[in-house]
Amino acid sequence: MSSNKIDGAIGEFRSLDTSANQDQWMNRLHPLVKLFLTILYITVTVSFSRYQLAGLLCMAIYPLVGFTVGEISFAGCLKRLRIVLPLVCMVGIFNPLFDREVVLHIGSIAVTGGVLSMITLMIKGVLTVLASYLLIVTTSIEKICRALRLIHVPKVLVTEILLIYRYVTVLLSEAGRITQAYSLRAPGQKGVAFKAWGPLLGQMLLRSMDRAEVLYESMCIRGFSGEFPGGTSLRPADSKEARRAGRASLCWLFFWTAVFLLIRFVPLAEWLGGLFV
Amino acid sequence: MSHIHIDVENLTYAYEAGVPVLQDICLHAGENESIGLIGANGAGKSTLLKLLVGLGTGFTGSIRVEEIPLEKKTLPKIREKIGYVFQDADAQLFMTTVGEDVAFAPRNYGLPEEEVEKRVQTALEKTHISHLRDKAVYKLSGGEKKLASIATILSMTPHIILLDEPSVALDPQNRRNLIRILGEFDHLKIIASHDLDFIWDTCERVILLSGGRIVRDGSAEEILRDRELLEANGLELPLSLTGR
Repeated sequence: MSSNKIDGAIGEFRSLDTSANQDQWMNRLHPLVKLFLTILYITVTVSFSRYQLAGLLCMAIYPLVGFTVGEISFAGCLKRLRIVLPLVCMVGIFNPLFDREVVLHIGSIAVTGGVLSMITLMIKGVLTVLASYLLIVTTSIEKICRALRLIHVPKVLVTEILLIYRYVTVLLSEAGRITQAYSLRAPGQKGVAFKAWGPLLGQMLLRSMDRAEVLYESMCIRGFSGEFPGGTSLRPADSKEARRAGRASLCWLFFWTAVFLLIRFVPLAEWLGGLFV
Repeated sequence: MSHIHIDVENLTYAYEAGVPVLQDICLHAGENESIGLIGANGAGKSTLLKLLVGLGTGFTGSIRVEEIPLEKKTLPKIREKIGYVFQDADAQLFMTTVGEDVAFAPRNYGLPEEEVEKRVQTALEKTHISHLRDKAVYKLSGGEKKLASIATILSMTPHIILLDEPSVALDPQNRRNLIRILGEFDHLKIIASHDLDFIWDTCERVILLSGGRIVRDGSAEEILRDRELLEANGLELPLSLTGR
């Protein structure tokens, strides 16, 4: 991996952090509400049967509204997820080979159960990834972790998540420095020579461990005792702004819970289809 | 003599057995003192500061902070009283934004959000970086990072601050800013540096370390003007005193 690519990866991390810390309406919603809705959305989306394509398509409304309200660039999302989305789409790629029974006709074209289930799986994958992206891009990792603690996820696990997130950038920046130092002394060479991989990886690991230790020390001397402190906002809890955000969060929560359950248990797509046929 | 805040007796410490980094250190620091810890590279300045804040175990001798002996069980209490500023500001700042980082310590100490907010505001005002509150840490310049790392300590309202090479990588304006901020902090501060001009500007008392031992402990005036002493210990007169 060249230092440019590593810089790019660090840049992606940081731009996600920046987006999550913006002062947007979606960002101000309570993190627990966003976390709960994401989990509920994923659960409901995954629970559709493999042939329930119509209902599943209705579920696209949540990411669509979320991206619009949160002023999130869809192109930016696709760019960031360019590696994950093709992998998600590959799930179920072999279904058409196993399930060849024709389940519906679109005009004169017969659609087999395998094709339908493949499309359903792809859509499920894409929608769940988009919902997770929506959460990440509007909520900082600290807030997600605090929300996890509010639902009593063990503190060891939450701290692990937080530290891994912090240390990934430490590891990447060390990798960037080392490969940059290497490339400056190996002009014209493409990539890192095979024989240099061992010492480079060793150095990177040792340096990252050192930096991670210093980071940990820095946390310890500021009172860190294994748990990240509570509170999800720097603003006083009884401020007008906080109360407004609280009310908006509750409305957002009830509205979307109702929508998800409605889509899941009421055949909305069929009703809508019936209006036109 | 003012009330003793830090009391170190016969402190000896080694990273590797048989190779002591600090030997027989005795240090008594009063509550409003500004102490410069000087010495060449490897003299043991940073190690001494780290030990004072409990970052290092296995030392012999004793360290007492405001009468509390430094032990594993007293560490949380001692760390509430001492603010330690790392040499590398990148090591100090780990939250996403400056405001979150400054709020980290007060929140850890379980203060109510109103108090956290008040402390964050005060610390940012004292370091003149209120405008950086919502700025991402990685977007800060070197000088801004240094000021932010000092703000993260000031929000703890410490009784003592320890600074490791605070003037490294600062431009003249930020350096002046830092000198002014330190001047406004009217509690005990210990500054480890080989930037003797910075020490001259900020400290009244100087402790010279060499080979892990205290060679001289006296007034800045006496030690920083002693060319022979400084040169014998791998240092040079501060530029401001050379007349150049």
